[in-house]
Amino acid sequence: MSSTLWTHLAKDLRIEWRSKDAINSMLFFAFLVVVLFSMSFDPRGSFAQQIAGGVLSVATMFASVSALNQAWAREIRHQVMDAQRMAPTSGAELFLAKVLANFFFVSIVQIALAPVFLVMYNLHAEGNAWLLILVLPLGTWALVANGTFFAALAIRSRNRELLLPLILFPIFLPALLGMVQATTNILTGESDPWLWIKMLTGYDIIFTTVSLLLFDVVFHAE
Amino acid sequence: MKKVLLTLFPLITILLMAWGYHQAIYVAPDDAMQGYIFRIIYYHVPSATVAFLFFFVSLIGSIGYLAFRRNSPNRAQVADAWALAGAEVGVVFCTVVLTTGPLWGRRAWGIWWTWDARLTTTLVLWLIYVSYLLLRRFAAGPQMQTLAAVLGIFGALDVPIVYMSNRWWRTQHPAPVFGGDPGSGMKDPTMVNALLWNMLAWFCWGMLVLFLRYQVERRHQQYAAIEAQEALEASA
Amino acid sequence: MDERNILDHQFVAAAYTVTWVIQLGYLAFLGLKWRSEKRNAERKSRQPR
Repeated sequence: MSSTLWTHLAKDLRIEWRSKDAINSMLFFAFLVVVLFSMSFDPRGSFAQQIAGGVLSVATMFASVSALNQAWAREIRHQVMDAQRMAPTSGAELFLAKVLANFFFVSIVQIALAPVFLVMYNLHAEGNAWLLILVLPLGTWALVANGTFFAALAIRSRNRELLLPLILFPIFLPALLGMVQATTNILTGESDPWLWIKMLTGYDIIFTTVSLLLFDVVFHAE
Repeated sequence: MKKVLLTLFPLITILLMAWGYHQAIYVAPDDAMQGYIFRIIYYHVPSATVAFLFFFVSLIGSIGYLAFRRNSPNRAQVADAWALAGAEVGVVFCTVVLTTGPLWGRRAWGIWWTWDARLTTTLVLWLIYVSYLLLRRFAAGPQMQTLAAVLGIFGALDVPIVYMSNRWWRTQHPAPVFGGDPGSGMKDPTMVNALLWNMLAWFCWGMLVLFLRYQVERRHQQYAAIEAQEALEASA
Repeated sequence: MDERNILDHQFVAAAYTVTWVIQLGYLAFLGLKWRSEKRNAERKSRQPR
């Protein structure tokens, strides 16, 4: 890992560790979403197995947006963005560091949420449960990579908080589908999740590459 | 010469529209299986074709803007105007598709909607380009065009992925194929004829509206440029 | 059988009407935009530079 990348990453992790703003709000929001869905859909028995994937993915989505919204706000507040722009490092490293940091935070929320899910939905995986460790990070990466990119896109707009989900969700839809289908297939054991895992991997590779290529354009947009 | 063309083209378009309507309602027969309701196809399919075509125009415009903005700023502005026009008129046609489709589906197959590959892709396409238009409205400043161009590229990239992922989804959970292949029911030459006439008519209408939107945007760009120049001079 | 046909006719009419409402509505919106741009241009040309 290049030293610049590590510097950016360490900075974000350290700031978050001191305040724990993002993680706390994400955790609480995600848990609220889970409870709300549970009251709306009343998960019982096999039905719970079928909707757990969807509920977890949507909860992750909403929770991430609340964190992503202020992903760049910190930078803008103290003119850190301008300093970053003037630094001779490429924007791609800053971007990648932000994505890694946000990915780490969202993953923590998911790990914290997992036992809650297990208990509330009486989950047991019919299929290969270890695959979940592959599926969830792939889906989360798609969300966080695109989300961080679009958060940077929306930063200079009036309704920044509203705009981010509006432009993120349509583009994220196929990854959401992949994540939900793969998780449901693993939990219900109905069909083979590998098709979706491959699709998620392809999606992640394509969009991470394009984001890295175009980030400098967005960052230095003048 | 140009003036003649400018007044002739709208006239021809209107005539084509009237002819297409006549073909669709009075000449083409009822569909063997679906009956009268099948006639919605003569407005639905051409609108879909034009929408996808104009979204493609928007993509080219976005790429053009990013490519030209440093070396040929005027060409970049032209590209950006096409990007916006293509997106906005595309959304209009896509809205037509998403409203006429359910009306057709309700009578022909008993359902307003289904989440098959084609419908979902069209809906997501609509969502993506509406979000593109929202970004253009909400983003401030001169960077807006760059940001919009980037979003335009992202959005267009997503479309084939949405389509394929939904195809896979549907092979796992087979569902009624909404609409089937539009060519499959069209063995009657008068029906094919009617469809082609309406394709031409809607294509001409689309080009007309697209061109108008492009011109409005160019005027707006010139006005904005003058405003920016004055602001610069005032602060100097 | 006959009421099925009537409903079909109504839905086709509705589809065609909706199409034209959308298209003509957009054209009207464009017309308004054109007018405001023309007014802007006139204002700019009249202003002393």
